[in-house]
Amino acid sequence: MSVCSGTEPLVGLSRRGFLARLGLGLGSAALTHLLNRDALGTTPADRGILGHPHAAPKAKRVIYLFQAGAPSQIDLFDHKPLLKEWQGRELPASVRRGQRLTAMSGNQTSLPLVGSPYAFAQHGRSGAWLSELLPHTAELADDLCFVKTLYTEAINHGPAVTFMQTGSQFPGRPGMGAWLSYGLGSANDNLPSFVVLVTKDKGGQPLVSRLWGSGFLSSRHQGVRFRSGKDPVLYLTNPMGLNRQDRRNMLDHLKALHEIQLEKTPDPEIEARIAQYELAFRMQRSIPEVADFSSEPESVLKAYGEDVRKPGTYAANCLLARRLAERGVRFIQLYHQGWDHHGSLPKALPKQCRETDQASAALVQDLKQRGMLDDTLVVWGGEFGRTNYCQGKLTAKNFGRDHHPKCFTIWMAGGGVKPGISYGQTDDFGYNITEKGVHVHDFQATLLHLLGIDHERLNYKFQGRRFRLTDVHGRVVKDILA
Amino acid sequence: MLWLGVIHCVVWFPLSLVIAEEVEPAFNRDILPILSGNCFACHGRDAHARKADLRLDLEQAAKAERDGEAAILPGEPEGSALYRRISSKKASFVMPPPESNKSLTPDEIKLIALWIEAGAPWEDHWSFTPVTRPALPGVAQTQWPANPVDDFILERLEREGLRPSPAENKITLLRRVTFDLTGLPPSLEEMDAFLADVSPQAFERVVDRLLASTRYGEHMGRYWLDAVRYGDTHGLHLDNYREIWPYRDWVIRAFNENKPFDAFVIEQLAGDLLPDPSRDQLIATGHNRCNVTTNEGGSITEEVYVRNVVDRVVTLGTVYMGLTLDCTRCHDHKFDPLTMDDFYSLFAYFNSIDGKPLDGNRKDHAPILKIPDAHQAEQLAEYDARVGQLTKRMREPWPTIDALQETWEADLVRKEQAEESGGDAQKEDGSLVLGDWYVVGPFYDNRRYLNSRKHGPEGRPVRLDETFTLATEEIVRWKKRPDWKDGKVHSDLPGQTAANFLYRTITSPQAQKVEVSLGSDDGIIVYLNEKRVLSNNVSRGVAPDQEKLQLPLKAGTNHLLMKIMNYGGATGFYFALTSGETTIPEDVLAIAMADRAQRDPEAQAKLVEFFRSKVAVSDELEAVRSELTSVREKRAEVDRGIPTTLIWREATEQKPAYKLNRGEYDQKGDEVARRTPVFLAAMDANAPNDRLGLARWLVDPNHPLTARVTVNRLWQQLMGTGLVKTAEDFGSQGERPSHPQLLDWLAAEFMAGGWDVKAMMKLLVTSSTYRQSSVLSPALIERDPDNRLLARGPRFRLDAEMLRDQALCLSGLMSEKMGGPSVKPPQPDGLWFSVGYSGSNTVRFVADKEHDQVHRRSVYTFIKRTSPPPQMSTFDGPSREASCVRRERTNTPLQALLLFNDPQYVEAARALAERVLASGGDTVGARAGYLFRLCTGRFPDSEELADLISGLEQDLTTFRADPASAAALVGGDASASETDTDAGELAAWTMSANLMLNLDEVIMKN
Repeated sequence: MSVCSGTEPLVGLSRRGFLARLGLGLGSAALTHLLNRDALGTTPADRGILGHPHAAPKAKRVIYLFQAGAPSQIDLFDHKPLLKEWQGRELPASVRRGQRLTAMSGNQTSLPLVGSPYAFAQHGRSGAWLSELLPHTAELADDLCFVKTLYTEAINHGPAVTFMQTGSQFPGRPGMGAWLSYGLGSANDNLPSFVVLVTKDKGGQPLVSRLWGSGFLSSRHQGVRFRSGKDPVLYLTNPMGLNRQDRRNMLDHLKALHEIQLEKTPDPEIEARIAQYELAFRMQRSIPEVADFSSEPESVLKAYGEDVRKPGTYAANCLLARRLAERGVRFIQLYHQGWDHHGSLPKALPKQCRETDQASAALVQDLKQRGMLDDTLVVWGGEFGRTNYCQGKLTAKNFGRDHHPKCFTIWMAGGGVKPGISYGQTDDFGYNITEKGVHVHDFQATLLHLLGIDHERLNYKFQGRRFRLTDVHGRVVKDILA
Repeated sequence: MLWLGVIHCVVWFPLSLVIAEEVEPAFNRDILPILSGNCFACHGRDAHARKADLRLDLEQAAKAERDGEAAILPGEPEGSALYRRISSKKASFVMPPPESNKSLTPDEIKLIALWIEAGAPWEDHWSFTPVTRPALPGVAQTQWPANPVDDFILERLEREGLRPSPAENKITLLRRVTFDLTGLPPSLEEMDAFLADVSPQAFERVVDRLLASTRYGEHMGRYWLDAVRYGDTHGLHLDNYREIWPYRDWVIRAFNENKPFDAFVIEQLAGDLLPDPSRDQLIATGHNRCNVTTNEGGSITEEVYVRNVVDRVVTLGTVYMGLTLDCTRCHDHKFDPLTMDDFYSLFAYFNSIDGKPLDGNRKDHAPILKIPDAHQAEQLAEYDARVGQLTKRMREPWPTIDALQETWEADLVRKEQAEESGGDAQKEDGSLVLGDWYVVGPFYDNRRYLNSRKHGPEGRPVRLDETFTLATEEIVRWKKRPDWKDGKVHSDLPGQTAANFLYRTITSPQAQKVEVSLGSDDGIIVYLNEKRVLSNNVSRGVAPDQEKLQLPLKAGTNHLLMKIMNYGGATGFYFALTSGETTIPEDVLAIAMADRAQRDPEAQAKLVEFFRSKVAVSDELEAVRSELTSVREKRAEVDRGIPTTLIWREATEQKPAYKLNRGEYDQKGDEVARRTPVFLAAMDANAPNDRLGLARWLVDPNHPLTARVTVNRLWQQLMGTGLVKTAEDFGSQGERPSHPQLLDWLAAEFMAGGWDVKAMMKLLVTSSTYRQSSVLSPALIERDPDNRLLARGPRFRLDAEMLRDQALCLSGLMSEKMGGPSVKPPQPDGLWFSVGYSGSNTVRFVADKEHDQVHRRSVYTFIKRTSPPPQMSTFDGPSREASCVRRERTNTPLQALLLFNDPQYVEAARALAERVLASGGDTVGARAGYLFRLCTGRFPDSEELADLISGLEQDLTTFRADPASAAALVGGDASASETDTDAGELAAWTMSANLMLNLDEVIMKN
């Protein structure tokens, strides 16, 4: 949804530019495609504001597996044996350095350290450390790039997720997928270029549709949320009693009337409308088709796990993401909620991992087998990390961890990222970064770089200034590029 | 003619390309945008970002000699460092530097050269100079202008060598103006009447009729609600329900009553500061409460406070002044003459509300106003009167009861004396003495730990001199609350998502068990003499008798400690002894012990009240007592049903405001006082320096922005694009007006006419400019695709609300009911749930059922800000999280799907089909023509009619062959059978109606 409108700069006064500027929506690809098919061959002609990337892209598309609520890096990736030795002892002031805490644990009189109860081991030739909670991910260790030193500025979920996805803690900026749609346009004729998939029935910290909104960009760049169930896209299905042929009949006559009108008023807006109606009609077929797994072999379904058979689960969304990627969707954003483990972490974390580990790994593996991993960037991660100390009461069997913005781990795979490395180092307490910190804006700059975009040169003028995903910051983390 | 060539290529500033006659670049129009967009970031106002200590935003500095040369040497481009730098080919020398990713086009460089050559004349920024009424320009086609608007438009057209389009045909014009003034299409009767009225005043009569319609206020109000970001939820985190619809109704009413715009502004910004403010003026201050708020656990109160105030200031800038104040939150404005000091000085007007920053997840986040309707007000008055009578009766001398009291008092004195003489000996009876309540808190914590963790005094003996440090680092102490009487609900505990502790002593003459009744919001833990005797971790509102508890008292002093745990929202507790002899509070006992003659009247009254309400046994008294209880209960019930609305009430003490370093809430710099931005004329020295003064300053005729910004929005509403396209930014980064003289003339006219909005709307819609045909020609599209020159009438897509209202209106489904709580027409399942927090009271969407709710105009649709209704957002309706003064108008396939398949549009199509079958005549042709005319206003031509009919006939064949599908489409209810229609026929017509509601001519304002 758009918070408000902005104006896009004119892209020229040619017919193509003129049409593009009319806000043709998702179908601008289709329309210009139709108009230019003879002249330009079969490549969709909506190339976005940039026309073509600044540099040859390593990644052509992104699948972002967002783990909302902030998974505990200490129990999954960032192995800190020292914490076990210090179990129950106070977080030393020399480590905390007066850093602010949330109002939730800020009033605790004691901040007892707590080590991870899960066994860690090194995996693959790269020797990446992973906890026993992620056995499937561990098998792929040599394909993944673990960034252990991401850090952020926000301490609460709402601002932090917004920051991670839009580069600002405040609502109103476009999300990554919207920036890409704006910059690079669409790569397919029948589907939106930015699709959002949220695991069904998870609850927890809220997700807000502004995260995939277009902010001040035209709303045609906003993410289109696919839902599980009979209407994967809002209002996709014809009303009861109306079949596809009936809809075609209605459209044919609507088109005839539009053409009469076009003769009287040669308004390109009418042409655009005709094209959008046709695209809508095609989407009525293409979207159910992409959401239908019946053509997937049993071996693939098995690889993603049993959940894949239930629409709306994380596993099903991972497979759907691959199918969308195959069909030219540029940015596929998954959300899986439920990682906010302030208390009862030992009970809740293993469950979260069971829901996500196998399918995440299967997705990477599946892409690899199809030769798509080379130009598909997969990202796995949340909005911040969790504390090395216990929130609430530390008992022999139970503990929780509060929000920790100073360091957390994400992994990336494919799309021009160096496989089989762990990047960055945190201190032995897992509290501060000791070397190679990666700010959220650095991560965003790197992501854009992989897509062939100079993050400083994809911008948009709104309310008197040029905005970009990385605000006025960000540097590409060259060390992790393949 | 070099100049023409130069100008023609300045693509990013399209209006320049059509300026033909002016041969000299104008500073504001041509030069300032180049300097501002490319140079000011490093050579502008922001001292921190300034490079080489050079300013180009000030004429004097830019022309000053530095190291032997000036950046700008008037008359000599080659002698100007600025020109040599921008025209250099050397990467190390050229400006802007390559790493800035900015560069000038050759044409921009030429413009600068020409401007310097012409002497580099400087001008003030156009929108910051006072409004003066320009003279009307001369035009050649003197017959065309209907009013002064047209002189300005025509003058420009003539200059461009363009001609206005012919007048629009009557029907299209009627449809246009009806949409523009009421948001709805005209009815068939209105079309017929207008066509029949051939007098020259026919159109004016229509305009007057529309302006007088109450639909006008609903339509105009909708734009305003976008601007002030009205929503029905708080907007952040839980995004709970917020009750502020009376403010929405106030806005609609204000437009309908044609409240002068200056009063409209003053009442919304500062209604509470007006002398003896009316209820409506207080409701209007809800304007200042529309910002999003939160109650997220872990939020830092100071941070939320700052965010709330910042939001108000930024919105003030956008809505009234067209200024991008947000930039100055963190640094001086890079382009406009605004500083951080200006920002925080405005902040100081909006930071002293008598309420808390966190919304408590409550619909009635204080301060609020109760808005009883007439009936409720009458009931309240009635109950209050009766309570008054009964209370009076309870206080009056009452010989029979007074006699009982004397006996009771004597008895008390005797007992007490006996006790004193008996020393430590046991009392004769079980009289208890309950000490006053003490309270300490609020101990904030995550809700899941409130119950399980020990806080404050828990687990050890209470010491009333102990102090406690809260999570917020605030220090709290035990506070005595003698005003908390037993047997009443007390709701004034501090804090949310926090625990409070209550403590009192109970002195018992002997060991005994007594029963107490307790209530709490939410959970409760009770300790008696440090031993836990009750723990109930529940979420609930407080009420009497939620817990019954036996307290095993020991002889002597007992210590009762209660922990009340609140998980959000309201909090409170209830305590009453329910067994044993009536306990006498210490203060009452003291009165009774005193000599009757010595008691002051107040004390005596207190004793009388206690005796009559708690002790006396008497039928005649009981009758009064029980009636009093019952009347009070009834009153409370009425009171609970009264709607509330968020308002502004100024705190008694002004909160200090600080300049916040980098905009960070915890980086306080110098304290700042209230004042208006320095670069604008100051407030009248006699005006109060508060929001009222600020509001009056905004609508002072000397203020250069408010009137310009406002008339520009009205223009934008009608013509599709404002005279200033960037309606939200009148600063140097905004676009210049296409017709600066016209904008100033309108602003001057608006103020001189008493800020009369209806008069302004009438002026605009009765202009020849507005009444032109909107038919496009290829030449005109090529020349002026955005219609900025107004050589034709406006043609653009209707807004989301207008589309939905149109469908409801054409189908005859629309409810005309005005006002009241927001309504929830059906929407697809799961939209709220998928973004909702499980603890939110808007996590599950439940559609309304009643006709008056589901078929109401869209301005009344409930807006959950984290998931606005898809019928609105799909068509670019904003989420109302932030101010929006300009919507975009996209054209997407998702819109097509919505118009095809949204059940409410399908329902409208079916109702429209029924209407056609009932009233459209007997033949297919007549019916098709009727349908077409209803939707477009005109009769179809033969080709169009043939298409419509052929589609219909195809559907007829299909649906008659498949009655089950037909029945499924049109629904199984009986409404179809009332006419002589089979389901197949109705289904086919439903599809024709669905087609019509998708037709470009119907979706667009033409």
